[in-house]
Formats: sequence, structure tokens, C-alpha cells
Amino acid sequence: MGLVQRAVEAAGIPTVGVTLNRSVTARVRPPRAVFLRYPFGHPMGEPLAVAQQTAILEDLLRTLETAGPGTIVEPGYIWKRHRFA
Amino acid sequence: MARLANRVAVQLFRRLPWLGDLWAARRSFVEGGGIPWAPLRRPLAQCTVSLVTTAGVHVTGDTPFDMRDRTGDATFRVIPIGTPAAAMTITHDYYDHSAADRDINVVLPVDRLREAHTAGRVGGVGPRMYSFMGHVNGRHVKTLLEVTAPQVARQLVEDGADAVVMTPA
Repeated sequence: MGLVQRAVEAAGIPTVGVTLNRSVTARVRPPRAVFLRYPFGHPMGEPLAVAQQTAILEDLLRTLETAGPGTIVEPGYIWKRHRFA
Repeated sequence: MARLANRVAVQLFRRLPWLGDLWAARRSFVEGGGIPWAPLRRPLAQCTVSLVTTAGVHVTGDTPFDMRDRTGDATFRVIPIGTPAAAMTITHDYYDHSAADRDINVVLPVDRLREAHTAGRVGGVGPRMYSFMGHVNGRHVKTLLEVTAPQVARQLVEDGADAVVMTPA
């Protein structure tokens, strides 16, 4: 996914992506990433968990607004334990 | 048989996250050199935001991603923004998409982005979403880098996207 992200950014559009595997992201080096220690297949969290998905989208949007090149933001949510409002 | 072996591997990777790190350490990636950078040009409340995923989502009835080629598939599908979730499906044998089958927002946060638009957090939602199937190896990497990823980038520019949110599988 990082390769697509880099291509879009290179075309002049700022991008941010979720990553579930920090070591891959550290090597592919996308412009901005939010790292979640979540199982594969769940980049936005659990199904029908609107508050959780909303919080993750907000993390992504805030990263777009604030991060510098190569930033990997880590919100630190614990899978199925973190309480979203 | 290969698809069955895949299903087993997929569950292992889901349940044992350290397997993902082991897998990553042993294979080669197209590693990034410099980091491409495009600054946000205006406040998000005035930006059109588009979605791109590599989770193998596509419109039901559209050509599915190729699961027979073990080196993957570098093509992409376009999903118009108004497509109801019931008209989307996932073709991707390399991860457990049972959660995303119940709620597409798990891999493609389209409803959440529309809510962010309604709330005024973002200025607009891109007219089209773009979807890859994240398993891309061998000769397909070249196709992705030289053809399909730049093509999606061009289409996003045509769509007037000011920012893009990307989600993997």
C-alpha cells in the first residue's frame, strides 16, 4: 500500500495511511502513517464500532494536518480493550 | 488446495501478529529512498478528501481480483462514492475479511468520511474510491509502480482530491 501512497503523494496530493505492520512501513517509508497494533483485516477497528472508527479517522485527519515527512503516529489503542467515547 | 492453505495462513497471521514481523523481515520490499512530500494546501474543512484501499474491495459484478496468480494482481477497481455497502464485495484471499464483510468501514471508512463531511471537518468527499488487492509480487510490482499506481494518482488529481486517506487490508 505504501507504494501507491508514495505515487499519489508524488503527484502532489498529501496522503495518510493506516499501517498494521510497523516494520514494513519503516522500510517502505510512506509520507505519513498511523500505526495501530490491530489484527490484519481491521485497519479501522471493529465492525459497527462507529466511535472507534470515527476516532481512527480523526487520528488520520489530524496526522494530515500536523505531521512532517515520514512520521508514524502511534495512538496506542489496545485491541478490544480501549474504550472509545 | 492453494486457497485452503491460504485460509490457514491467513488465520495464523491474524492470531499471531509477530508472524507478520517475521514475514516482513524475510522478504524484500521496494524500499523507499527519499520521502515524497506534498503539503496540505488549505484547511481540511475546505479540502476534498478521497479514499484509497488495498483491501481488495470492488463493486459486486465488477471483475474480481485475480486469485489464481500466486504473485498477485496489480490492477485496481473504481468504486463510485454513492455505492451502497450491499453492492460492494471483497476478493482477497490473503487476509480474513469476515469483519469487513459485516461492515465495509472496517477497511474502507466511507461512512465515517461522509459523517466528517456532514460535520464540516472536511470540505468534501472525492467522487470515486480506488481499490487494489494488496497482494502484489514479482512482475506485478513493476506494473504497480509504472502503470497502475500512477494512473490512480492521475485520476485522483482529475477528481480534485486535496488529500487522500489510505487503508490496507
